[in-house]
Amino acid sequence: MGPLIPNGIIGGGWDFVIAILLGVAFGFILEASGFSSSRNITGVFYGYNFVVLRVFFTALIVAMVGLMYFDYFGWLDLSKIFILPTYVTPMIFGGVVMGLGFILGGFCPGTSFTAIAIGKLDALLFTIGLYIGIFIFSLGYPLIEGFYNSGNLGNVTLTDVTGIPAAWFALAFTVVALAAFWGTMIIEKRVRKNMKEYKF
Amino acid sequence: MNRNYIFLTILMIVLAVGTLMLKPAKQLKQIEPETLLKEIVQPTRYISTDEVAKRLIQGDPSLLLVDVRSEAEFEKYSLPRSLNIPTEKLMADDNLSYFGVPGTKVVFVSNDDIKADQTWVLTKRLGFNSTYVMKGGLNCWMETIIDPVEPSPDAEETEFKTYSFRKGAQMYFTGAQVDDFNDSKVEVQVRRKEKTSVASGGC
Repeated sequence: MGPLIPNGIIGGGWDFVIAILLGVAFGFILEASGFSSSRNITGVFYGYNFVVLRVFFTALIVAMVGLMYFDYFGWLDLSKIFILPTYVTPMIFGGVVMGLGFILGGFCPGTSFTAIAIGKLDALLFTIGLYIGIFIFSLGYPLIEGFYNSGNLGNVTLTDVTGIPAAWFALAFTVVALAAFWGTMIIEKRVRKNMKEYKF
Repeated sequence: MNRNYIFLTILMIVLAVGTLMLKPAKQLKQIEPETLLKEIVQPTRYISTDEVAKRLIQGDPSLLLVDVRSEAEFEKYSLPRSLNIPTEKLMADDNLSYFGVPGTKVVFVSNDDIKADQTWVLTKRLGFNSTYVMKGGLNCWMETIIDPVEPSPDAEETEFKTYSFRKGAQMYFTGAQVDDFNDSKVEVQVRRKEKTSVASGGC
């Protein structure tokens, strides 16, 4: 049956409507999970709050395992979905930059908008910085274009690269994620014991 | 420790282990697009209706006619010894096992050659060799074999040869009789001379 638009079940014009609905749902879940607080988000790095890890890992393993069942039942053809192309070094570099920005600013792009929605000033400044960053990047793009497009592996999946069936990756990620849930709960308890004050 | 967490953890592990049991859908191998393109522009995939008729008359065992029209159309009219596999059911059941048999030539037949061509492309993409298309389809079959048109008197000799072959094929496939000659029906009237009376005259 799916994907709905490529298979012509719904028209291509609906993608903006779907994007808005998904965006609203995503924002709501972010806010409901406490992602509009930069204290919650940076808590991962200091070890007192792992909600970010838990929420994202939950989303990841549920979506991953769920999609495999959807594919099996014929609800979604996984061979037809878009796979983001992989650029090895630029992606590692981008990940480091993003992580640094995460600690420094206390938000990631999506959560900063969620925080603006509930009226946080720090998020407002963060987004101003975000747009300045985008502007500088755009102006400087000719300088870094070579690096930006380097190491392109194309639209590959882990299964394409390693030849190991996707189910094994799903199982491995699930086990790692579940171990992380329980492990971080213990870490949280220990760290919070030593904290004098903890507020969200 | 929250009991819900334990329950959800177990559920998630069971589901993830379950993905290992899922059998991946059968992936059909396809030929390279460039190879397909090279094959498509070749006119050698076409077989003329005359050739098909000749092979049918000779009882060529290597020929397999596959009628790709719907079952209803096939019931109405079909070529002798042809097999009905509608294009929609090409991949169904064991239909693909008819193709790619060494030493056999599969010829696709439809009303014109569009549907047969589509089926040819499908089988070609799947990597089957020695599949062909009957040029012009059954419409052309009707025009050339079942109801051949006599060439004009000033036509080339080869056209007359083709025509006489087609006439023969027409008889073979339809059971038509040789046109009777017009003069065969003429009754010969015997006129008898009236006997002259011997004693009619005399001097």
